[in-house]
Amino acid sequence: MAQQQVSLRADTKRSGIQTALRHNLIFRRGIYGILFIAPAMIFFLVFNLYPMVNGFYLSLTNYTLLRPPRFIGLGNFIGLASNTQFINGLKVTGLFVLGTTIPKWILSLGLALLFIRQFRGRETFKVIYFTPTLLSGVVISLVWKLLLHPSGLVSALAQPFTGKSEVFWLAHSSITPIALIAVDNWAGIPFYIIIWIAGLVGIPREFYEASLIDGAGRWQAFWRITLPLLRPTTLFVIVISTIGSFQAFSLQYIMTRGGPSNVTTTIALLVYNYGFNYFRMGVAAAMSVFMFAVIITLTLIQIRSVRAEETSYT
Amino acid sequence: MRKTLSPGLSNYSTRTLKLVLLYAIVVVGLMFFCIPVYYMITTSFKGEWEVIAIPIHWIPQEFKPSNYTEAFKIAPFARYFYNSVLVAVVVVFTTLFFSALAGYGFAKYSFPGQRICFLFVLSTIMIPFQVLLIPLYVVVYSLGWTNSYAGLIIPGAISAFGVFMMRQFCLTLPNELLDAARIDGCSEIGIFLRIVLPLLKPPLASLAILTFLGSWNNFLWPLIVVNKSHLFTLPVGMTVFTQPLRAPYWTYIMAVSTVATLPVVLVFVTLQRYFIQGVVLSGMRG
Repeated sequence: MAQQQVSLRADTKRSGIQTALRHNLIFRRGIYGILFIAPAMIFFLVFNLYPMVNGFYLSLTNYTLLRPPRFIGLGNFIGLASNTQFINGLKVTGLFVLGTTIPKWILSLGLALLFIRQFRGRETFKVIYFTPTLLSGVVISLVWKLLLHPSGLVSALAQPFTGKSEVFWLAHSSITPIALIAVDNWAGIPFYIIIWIAGLVGIPREFYEASLIDGAGRWQAFWRITLPLLRPTTLFVIVISTIGSFQAFSLQYIMTRGGPSNVTTTIALLVYNYGFNYFRMGVAAAMSVFMFAVIITLTLIQIRSVRAEETSYT
Repeated sequence: MRKTLSPGLSNYSTRTLKLVLLYAIVVVGLMFFCIPVYYMITTSFKGEWEVIAIPIHWIPQEFKPSNYTEAFKIAPFARYFYNSVLVAVVVVFTTLFFSALAGYGFAKYSFPGQRICFLFVLSTIMIPFQVLLIPLYVVVYSLGWTNSYAGLIIPGAISAFGVFMMRQFCLTLPNELLDAARIDGCSEIGIFLRIVLPLLKPPLASLAILTFLGSWNNFLWPLIVVNKSHLFTLPVGMTVFTQPLRAPYWTYIMAVSTVATLPVVLVFVTLQRYFIQGVVLSGMRG
């Protein structure tokens, strides 16, 4: 350390060889940088990069944990195109994504717009609204499995409308997907309320005051000021919620096991079934690669749009 | 905002009507979001016979707090709870330490290959866990870590998002401070431990909460990596308890659900500011 100080001080007097020494010093200090990032980098290599590359490789094999992988080219992917379970999984996942994204955006934005108004008890209400976010996916699934029991709370509350004392919410091929969608909305909306509020608070009041002077109504202000200025938040909400819904697993696994007759078997559940029930790791890996392609496309769209946003502001 | 937007609506009765409408919506929403949670807690104190009773018992008639002790006898939930705590605590500490260390390394040192390494970290953030599931299991399987604490803990021990987050915060630390410490003869590792780590407390708190929640609520990974009951974490143990062929003891399940939520509530109540930040960040991580 003393040596380093000397070279630093001398650096101001002479250049040439001293600058080289100084570079040498920074370089030597850089070794600590390498040392500091090394554990994390080795970890990511072993537990992220290698598995990902290996996942792509496995998707081209007929691996089954017990038998060493044998290369079969695009066989798994070609198989997927005619795999009725996979095609059904695509439909199920598509419906779930639609049902758990668009309503979530609209309802959470609506509630967030209420919460940025001044009213008594607002902060308390906000905290209580946050409650579902404290429950884990497993607890949410278990609680709702009880609530949706054929003669449980939901049946009792819905009796005036359905006229039946027993409704098989989780064993009916057309009601069950909707029931799971409703549960996911229940669990997800509070989180997005918080995100929207953060975005809305960032819009300067002056814009609204100016629009008022220009004679704009409230609807106009919403469409012309609020929504355009919320674009970064909107993009974030859209992409995050879509990616999340696309990977839906625990609700389906715990509440219905994909049933009845596979109407709630999402692709994520199929990956699990193929990998850990049928031990067909190759097919499961191929499905994962498909999921990866969809998710990475969504992520890139978000990144590109946000970049475009940044340049268009200036 | 309300005032500036509606000067024409200063009419008293219209305003009252609007306020009533606002409260009506907020309260209906409140009931929608809270009744399930309320029902979970009350059911955990009910007698088994009144769980599916009609009319609904909003308040337990047979007040039975013994559900809690009985639930912990009927299945090794205490063991599951211990496993969950152990895994979460270890994962939080390793994540905080190594993320801060690497983040600091990226922010305050220059070395060859730095850019590439950082890009690598950034792209690691974008890999969704579902995609890693199968090949990561294969790695853990070939290392012989299935059915072990190593298998539960190590694959989640460092987070790329944590490294990125810590790097962003380390960039804001003044270089003069670090140089002053160097002149005083502090070693590089000493600077990290004694100067940088204490300054990183606020972001570390958010990262700790985010990591804790991720580990505590994690279901998919422990579900596939262990199948021996003594290694189950709480979420896996609770699910096994409600498998189709078992008679569901709803009161016990709700009791355990409540217990499983308590640590999260505790963190929420004590660290509310960091908590919301952590939850928002966990969403961003995707």
